[in-house]
Amino acid sequence: MGLPALLLLALCAAGARGLYFHIGETEKRCFIEEIPDETMVIGNYRTQMWDKQKEVFLPSTPGLGMHVEVKDPEGKVVLSRQYGSEGRFTFTSHTPGDHQICLHSNSTKMALFAGGRLRVHLNIQVGGHANNYPEIAAKDKLTELQLRARQLLDQVEQIQKEQDYQRYREERFRLTSESTNQRVLWWSIAQTIILILTGIWQMRHLKSFFEAKKLV
Amino acid sequence: MGGEIWLPFPVVLLGALLLPGAAGFTPSLDSDFTFTLPAGQKECFYQPMPLKASLEIEYQVLDGAGLDIDFHLASPEGRTLVFEQRKSDGVHTIETEVGDYMFCFDNTFSTISEKVIFFELILDNMGEQEQEQEDWKKYITGTDMLDMKLEDILESINSIKSRLSKSGHIQTLLRAFEARDRNIQESNFDRVNFWSVVNLVVMVVVSAIQVYMLKSLFEDKRKSRT
Repeated sequence: MGLPALLLLALCAAGARGLYFHIGETEKRCFIEEIPDETMVIGNYRTQMWDKQKEVFLPSTPGLGMHVEVKDPEGKVVLSRQYGSEGRFTFTSHTPGDHQICLHSNSTKMALFAGGRLRVHLNIQVGGHANNYPEIAAKDKLTELQLRARQLLDQVEQIQKEQDYQRYREERFRLTSESTNQRVLWWSIAQTIILILTGIWQMRHLKSFFEAKKLV
Repeated sequence: MGGEIWLPFPVVLLGALLLPGAAGFTPSLDSDFTFTLPAGQKECFYQPMPLKASLEIEYQVLDGAGLDIDFHLASPEGRTLVFEQRKSDGVHTIETEVGDYMFCFDNTFSTISEKVIFFELILDNMGEQEQEQEDWKKYITGTDMLDMKLEDILESINSIKSRLSKSGHIQTLLRAFEARDRNIQESNFDRVNFWSVVNLVVMVVVSAIQVYMLKSLFEDKRKSRT
């Protein structure tokens, strides 16, 4: 009875293998995801609070919530919700570009945070990586070959979408570069002309001034 | 003795929650993040690793004056493995021991400009977790009819999958490069506009001042003579 339990415990520890970082109580951490349109993004997080007496991170923090806010490239809020100490948020992009995912804890009670550190494990999956294949296999009743073919198709579709988006961005990039080039040329010409005109004006004005003052 | 009896049950529950397919938190092997690092701050990330796995970290500064950042990678014991200063991009691969590796991006040398930093973690040889994620056998229904050739087909599918993953990785890299170049160009554009207008205004103002100062010189002398 003890050994399987120990194995499961080891499995739990192995499951906690994601990237993590520390944030303070009122601190907000934001991540930028540049994604094409109609792409689903799934984020998973898990929080642990620092226990000052035992000097360890507690395995879970009941009562603590995290507020997740997602903004689209135009700055409009796509998702703004509060989740528990462990949660999963999903959103689908409707415009291509930089989406900003911000997390901050909702703790207002100073007591919960004495010591001020919260460990957040975060994992963000974009597009094809966000699919849960075991679930899809069960739902559509697929054989192994069908499931693997489906996964490959999803992967290729994601790469193609990203490539289309790359093409759109490269076009924008090219337009900006060409516009900058044009502007450098026109401004230089305009400045040279203005310089010449100002010089001519100065000379004529001063000449008529000196003539009026009977110096010349 | 009594403690041993109640321990397995919640552990079983917790273990069940962490199996793939359930609503638990299953981290993946590769991840990339893009974030903004304000001026004068330092941010650290931690990655737990098993023994003899390989950790590859690649970072790039996408935006921010100077496009450079300090990078620091420390082993679980706190020993510094990599320390780079004012670099705009970097790649590091290390063979790992058990523990949490820490890597930090340091923008304290900059007082006004915030940096946008992209980093990608590629983990290999992570051990039992790799098998866990690929073991779909318990979730499928039915069998495929071609028993003998199935293994060959599966092998070629696996190879296609790994090549597509590589394409995906390269795309992520290209995306980061393009984002950086685009940011540079956009700031060039803004700079050209701004300084051209400033230049124009300065020229006109200076020429007017020159003329009026010259005129005022002569007018004062006239007055002092009479």
